[in-house]
Amino acid sequence: MSDLLEVEALESGYGRIGILHGISLATGGHNVGLFGPNGHGKTTLLRTISGVIRATRGKIRFAGEDVTAWPARRIVELGLLHVPQGSRLFPDLTIRETLRLGAWPRRARPREARNLERAVAIFPRLKERWNQPVKTLSGGERQMVAISVALMGDPKLLILDEPTLGLAPRLKDELCAAIRQVSDEGVRLVVVEQDVEFLLDLADHLYLVNHGEIAAEIRPGESMNHQAIMEMYFGRELGPLT
Amino acid sequence: MTVLGQILLSALFQGSLYAMMAVGLALVWTTIGVFNFCHGVLMTLGAYLAWQFVDPEALGLPMFVALPLALLVVAAIGFALQALLIRPFIGRGDVVLVAVITTLAASSILKNGTLLVWGPRPKSIPPLAPDTIALGASNVSAHQLAIIAITPVVLGLVWLFLNRTRVGLALRAVAQNEDACQLVGMNVTALYALAFGLAAALAALAGIFFGGFKFMSPDMGTEPLTKALVVVIFGGIANITGPILAAYIIGLFEAVSIYYVGFYWTPALLFAVLIVVLMVRPEGLFARSSRGLA
Amino acid sequence: MKLSGFKRELCGMILGLAVLAILPVFIQDTYLRHLLIMIFVYGMVAASWDLSLGYGGVFNFGHLALFGVGLYTYALLTKQLGVDPWLALAASGGAAVIAAGLMVIPILRLKGIYVVLLSFAFSQLILQVIVSQSDYTGGNQGMVMVPALKLGDHNMMRDKKLAYYYIALTLLSACLLFLRVFVRSALGKSIVALRDNEEYAVSRGVSLGRQRLLTLTGSALFTGIAGGFYGGYFRNTSTDVFGIDLTTLILSMVLLGGRATIYGPLLASLALTLLSEATADIGVWRPIIIGAVIILVLLVYPGGLAGALTAGWRRLSAMRTPRGQGAAINKVAS
Repeated sequence: MSDLLEVEALESGYGRIGILHGISLATGGHNVGLFGPNGHGKTTLLRTISGVIRATRGKIRFAGEDVTAWPARRIVELGLLHVPQGSRLFPDLTIRETLRLGAWPRRARPREARNLERAVAIFPRLKERWNQPVKTLSGGERQMVAISVALMGDPKLLILDEPTLGLAPRLKDELCAAIRQVSDEGVRLVVVEQDVEFLLDLADHLYLVNHGEIAAEIRPGESMNHQAIMEMYFGRELGPLT
Repeated sequence: MTVLGQILLSALFQGSLYAMMAVGLALVWTTIGVFNFCHGVLMTLGAYLAWQFVDPEALGLPMFVALPLALLVVAAIGFALQALLIRPFIGRGDVVLVAVITTLAASSILKNGTLLVWGPRPKSIPPLAPDTIALGASNVSAHQLAIIAITPVVLGLVWLFLNRTRVGLALRAVAQNEDACQLVGMNVTALYALAFGLAAALAALAGIFFGGFKFMSPDMGTEPLTKALVVVIFGGIANITGPILAAYIIGLFEAVSIYYVGFYWTPALLFAVLIVVLMVRPEGLFARSSRGLA
Repeated sequence: MKLSGFKRELCGMILGLAVLAILPVFIQDTYLRHLLIMIFVYGMVAASWDLSLGYGGVFNFGHLALFGVGLYTYALLTKQLGVDPWLALAASGGAAVIAAGLMVIPILRLKGIYVVLLSFAFSQLILQVIVSQSDYTGGNQGMVMVPALKLGDHNMMRDKKLAYYYIALTLLSACLLFLRVFVRSALGKSIVALRDNEEYAVSRGVSLGRQRLLTLTGSALFTGIAGGFYGGYFRNTSTDVFGIDLTTLILSMVLLGGRATIYGPLLASLALTLLSEATADIGVWRPIIIGAVIILVLLVYPGGLAGALTAGWRRLSAMRTPRGQGAAINKVAS
């Protein structure tokens, strides 16, 4: 089958400052994990893919369309949903109102009721705070709302930017299980994550992003143990320490 | 009618006009984050276009066609103004400042454009309801009563729109987090245009209210804009319920002050109270700290 | 000979003023001199506004009210109390400074749009007080027959405005020197620091309240004096100076000229006053054209006229260097 998402020699950045220097990756039929040091372009890559910032060069194909120059809202309509890092969402709207906005894309409207049911099934906790403004929620709960908002958009591909950032370990496990459940229901994932265990649990195909380039790649089926990743991450010489 | 009755009637009437103007200003501020100094002249345009459509000397359309038509045309003008005066500057650090001067300049253009098109001769449009109604011992103009009755209905509809419809929710959302709005697939530009258009239509409705009991002039929007500014300062610009409440409170304050203190001192007194209120509560009397509609 | 930045600037300033000082020899026409006087007056007001708005980052929407305070102080003192016009002119600056000091109190800790709203409310309060005291101020009608400025036995009426020209020029020079010294001082730097990063500046010991007070009163001084001069020059007052039209005109001088430059607003005052006069005969079309020009310039030159000139200058000097020549030739070729 053709790839759901295919990125080819992508370059982008902010103003004149280039951040990405020719990144290529493809999802195949797998969940993709991105890792690497902070400030090396992972978030920029995700923002370029979802159309929030423009690519200066290269190509992005999603679901058979060349979406390189598309605005974010059209890409959303194709079924690519991006959960940004640490989103405040809409502080004064309630959970109920926020999820209703999640069903904004036209293609998601007919399945609004079903998607709502699914989101609530995955995150039953949200029902308890249904009519509370989002700003009163904890960081973990807000992350659940953010993922649910994306689920309301009926995604084919879900992009998660550091979903566990700043969360307590117990919440992390809960969130990981929930994301796994989403994946099992047929939604492909692109996940950026610092927690390698978490990443190994969710993704089959890993890319190391360094200096705005793909520095290494672990394909599905290749050995993906913690040790190997740490070595890639920190360089060979640090290997024995981990 | 008793003194109390007169004061209350005047308070409700003025309060309705102020509320109708102020809500549009607050709507634009909360969604786009700029202050629209064209708001007064949009009101003027609403009144003049209504005259153009309804007056027998001009097009002579029936009221129920002419008034919605005027609102629509002004909303379209609002759309266009937003695209020309605000949109190009969004994202710049000084957008608030630049928008002040571009909307001021546009307001000057439109005011003088009105003079150019319709001339300086005072005009008036027919009142919404022509008769007077006996209330107790005295007669009250039915137009005034109609305004007092219609305003809460219109503002209630605006409130319902912002709180119960998906598009209304989106307008509130765009005020709070533009990035997140893009990521759920919203067209932020279109939402800005919608907010501006809706605000313009509300201003036009206020103009139609005015044109039914006062002579119209190209400058007629200046004073109501000033009052609407006072209302939003007083009520807080971070939502729309604050200005609505403030509009009626200021209507009441003025009615009481004019009766007991006198006509000439009332504006000075109003501004003095306003400044004291702002020193205590800079975000306005009813505002929460963050920007957000409803 | 190498000169420090400020000395060079000072030389430029003196040169410019010298040119302006001998200009009346060539310009005998009363109307043209009147235009120059208006450019000086508006220039003072706009450049002073640039101090609070451009450097201080405080959007004082009531700046023209300070001009009004100066105007009415001069008129009331000279006409109602018979005070000497020169004393009244000085007092008009002082009154504006006091008014600005009062205005700072409510906006001390406010930010952004709230400063706009409150300073607007403050200017309306001053206007309403003036209107309500119509026995002294003439209310909405304004005052007429305000005593003029006097220079000994010199007849100010029959010298083709020569005396007024030099008075205005002197005031402008003093204003310019004051503003440039102000913004170049340590105080001026701390004000800019506050504008750019308030939290950091405050944490480094810059006092927000004191600096705002000094900025606003500093911007009030020559604005008030300009108001007083305006009263002595026109010999009448009008509440129109509180109106939105004059605010729009002067504010657009600040924005079109380029903020935080002082010279930019002065330049824009020249351009806009001339444009305003050139279009005086076309009635209603005049504000329409001026409004359109303001919007167009902002759309095309976000940095204002000063920004456009600097960019032009850079392009010009780049063309004189060999590499620049190549670039210019390429441009022509393509």
